[in-house]
Formats: sequence, structure tokens, C-alpha cells
Amino acid sequence: MRYVRLLGLFLKANLLVELEYRANFAAQSALGILWAGLTFVSVAVFFTQTDALGGWTYEQALIIVALFTIISGAVRFILEPNVIRIVEMVRTGAMDFVLTKPANSQFLATLRYAQYAGLADIAAGGAIIGFALHRMQYLPTPLAGIQFALMLISALAIVYSIWLVMAALSFWFVKIDSLSELFYALFDTARFPVTTYPGLVRLLLTFVLPVAFMTTFPAQAMLGLLDGTTLAVSLGLAALLVLFSAWLWQRAVLGYSSASS
Amino acid sequence: MSFMVTWWLRKYIALGKAGWALIMEYRAQVVIWMMSSLLMVIMLLVWLSISSDGAVNGYSSADFITYFMVGWIVRNLTAVWASWELDFNIREGRLSPMLLRPIHPIHNDVAVHWVEKLLRLGIVMPIAAIVLLLTPEVHLDFSPLNILIFLTSIIGAWLIVFLSDYLVGMLAFWTSQVGAFINGFFGIRLVLSGAIAPVAMFPSAVQEVLRWSPFPYMLNFSVDVAMGRLMPEALLTGLIVQWGWALFFICAAWAFWKIAVRSYSAVGA
Repeated sequence: MRYVRLLGLFLKANLLVELEYRANFAAQSALGILWAGLTFVSVAVFFTQTDALGGWTYEQALIIVALFTIISGAVRFILEPNVIRIVEMVRTGAMDFVLTKPANSQFLATLRYAQYAGLADIAAGGAIIGFALHRMQYLPTPLAGIQFALMLISALAIVYSIWLVMAALSFWFVKIDSLSELFYALFDTARFPVTTYPGLVRLLLTFVLPVAFMTTFPAQAMLGLLDGTTLAVSLGLAALLVLFSAWLWQRAVLGYSSASS
Repeated sequence: MSFMVTWWLRKYIALGKAGWALIMEYRAQVVIWMMSSLLMVIMLLVWLSISSDGAVNGYSSADFITYFMVGWIVRNLTAVWASWELDFNIREGRLSPMLLRPIHPIHNDVAVHWVEKLLRLGIVMPIAAIVLLLTPEVHLDFSPLNILIFLTSIIGAWLIVFLSDYLVGMLAFWTSQVGAFINGFFGIRLVLSGAIAPVAMFPSAVQEVLRWSPFPYMLNFSVDVAMGRLMPEALLTGLIVQWGWALFFICAAWAFWKIAVRSYSAVGA
């Protein structure tokens, strides 16, 4: 309960900061919407030449585009602003001030900051979902809706864990601030159905790098095409990664011995 | 005249050496920044998933592989980041000492960008060469004249990309939100230059407009040249349009700089 209240305070404090820098907010929001449009184009261009991509129709693939945009937005909203600061704080030694505060260090380090412009991406993603569902004249059944919600939560948990692992690694390897580039390079594969890729890459994106769990499987859930096994695997994987990343964070923090002393 | 040439040459050799030391210091970073060009490999895989059933708009699977491998090289040769540094230097007031130097700060950026390309080429060329050698039915035109035209088109492409990006960076003289402009322009360039799809895949109305814009000449045109896809007439028109844009951006950057520096009042000391 205390953490919920703290989270509310953080969000409010960040909102006040955001209101102070309105030009930045406007520019970043516009940028998010522009990139949503560019992602849309990068997938739509294939459908000027074909009717299906890896067995997905145009409208179905748009759900994946939307999820790609929503997850990018969530990363821009919460993860990126925090993880960039963690890397910086480890380098400068300012991490001391986080660790000495009377609350869980992972909570403080990963949820303290927010960049509200990320909400523009999320809104754009929502609009694309609406557009696609309208074109298909399809409304998810309540069961599909619940499955989709569970899949989206596990997708977000997986992405959160990956960013937490990157943050934890910065305790050991200080020069790591380009890791986010690496994430984005791999995440770029998530804008297409995983079935589009040739066998080996598809296996890699499903079992080694859990990219398929971020967009393809949640989109299947929304379309009512998901089987129970995938749902269970996805939830299990998310739980596992959350636990692993939290454990790694603890290890990292325990081994931390400031920068200046 | 020859005095001027040696004078500039010596300046560029000195800047290039310093730049190489800088790039070597950040070599791991350069490799990570190169990751963003992997999007082209992803796009190639997706195009291949369609072309396995037969040619798409005149492009066979081998054509797509050739297009994206050569395009990958061109994209790495035209990678730019000078606008980010310009923005940073203007905001932090670091531009002031640079303005006092006897040569324009852009020459340092040009030199560092070119030596960085040596590192990128060293990584990209072998990979692309192996992929192309393993692909049957690759069509590349290696006649001496075509190689000469290709290199000319690369220089043209580089000038257009570098200077248009530099122009966006110069907005930092007036606004602090340049990061969003640079990033947005990067995305637009990515899509319209042909990095995600050959421009020939776009609807014909879009192609017609793009033909006269600078975008395809940043990447797609050079790849078409290498693949020998262009009739002599289209080739000549393309070169004229490309170098027309290159000259336009040279003049625009020069003029814009003159105006901008006048309004520049340094931050800090």
C-alpha cells in the first residue's frame, strides 16, 4: 500500500516536471506519433505487394504493429528514463542516495522517473488497434480479451525484466550506456509476425530472445487464436524472468561499492 | 592552387589522425551503433519470405539480397551523428572555442565521419561479400565506368545525408528540442531513402514524387547503380538530380550557418 502511494507521488512529481518543460513534452509526443506512423508504413509497404505476411493478413499484422508501438511507448514512458539514470548514477556514485532511502532499491531505481510523452506512443498504438478491429469488423470475445490482457501483462513484465538486467549489468560493466541500442535493434524484429522469419531465426526469436512473446503471441490472443499452452508458457516465462532479474539486481546492489570512495 | 590543395590536405590528414584515435577509443560503441542498421537485415528477411513464391515487382530473391547487402554498405557509409554533437556543443556553449579556430568546425566533423567509415567498412564489407558470394544469380555491374559512377553516387549520397542532417542540427541555434527533429528526420530518411524497401515497391504515385526529392539519392540510387538496373538515360538524370541536391545542400548549409552564427550567443563562459 505504501508503494502504491509512493508510485502515485512519483508520477505526480514527474508530471509537474513535465509541465515545466512543455516544449519538450510536445516535441517528444510528436516524435512518438511520427515513429508510430513510420512503423505502420514499414509493415504496410509489404501489403502493397502481397496479401499475407507469414500467414497474417494486413489487419491482423496491424495488431502486431500496434503492440510494437504500445511496448515502445511503455519503454519510453518508464523504463528508458529510469535505466538511463541508473547507469549514470552507478558511474557517478549517486546510486548511494538511492540505496540509502528506506524503500526497496529496485522499486526506487526503476519506477522513480517517467517521461509522459511515451503515452503518445501508447495512444497511437491504441488507435491502430481500433482501426484494425474496425476494418475486420471483429470484436474480441470476453475470453479473448482476458487472454490478451494476461499476455500483454506478461509481455510488459518480460520487457521490464530485460531492462532491469541491463541496469544490473551496468554495476559490473560501467561503460554500458549503449545497451539500449542493442535492445532496440533486436526489438525491431517484433514489428512483424514471428512466422515471417525463416526457421532458425524464428526459433531464435521464440526460445532464445523472447521477442515472439512481446507482440506475436499477444496479438494472437486478441484475435482469439491463442492456445492454452502458449498462454501458460508466457506467464511462466514472465514470472521466471521477473524473479531472475530481481535476483540479479540484488546481487548487483550487494556488490556495489560507490564510485568516489 | 596546388598550395591550397596541400594546405587542406595537411589539415585533413591531421584531423583524420586525431579522429582515428577518437574512433579507436570508442570502437565498441561504433559497433553497437552499427546495430541500428540491422533493421535492413530484418527487412531483407521479410522481403525474402514474400519473394520465395516468385519475383515481387521485378525483384527476385537474389535481387533482394543484393539490394539489401549493397544498401547496407551504403547506409553504413552514410551514417551520420554530427547533428547530435552540434546540438550538444551549441547548448553547452562549447561551440565558442571552436568558432575561434582558423578552420570551420564542420571540417573536423567531416574528417571524423570519414575515418569512422574505415572501421565500419572493415566490418560490413566482409559480411556483405560473403553473403553475396554465397547467393547464386547476383547481378552486379563491375565495369570500370560503372564503378566510377557508383563511387560518384556514394559521394553525392554522403553529401546529401551529412549536410541535410547538419542543417537539422543547426536548428539548435534557435530551439532546445533539436533531438526530436534529428530523430524524426532520421526516421523519415530511413523509410524514404529505400532502407526498408526498394523505392520500386512503393505505389507509383509516391515513386513519382520521390524521384525528384533528395531521399532516394541517399541510398536507393547508389544501389540501383551498383546493380546496373538503370538505363543510360535514367542514370544520367539520376546523377544530375543527385548532384543538384548535393549542391543545394552545400549552399543551404553555408547560408544557414552564416545567419545562425550571427544569432548565436554562447551559453556559459
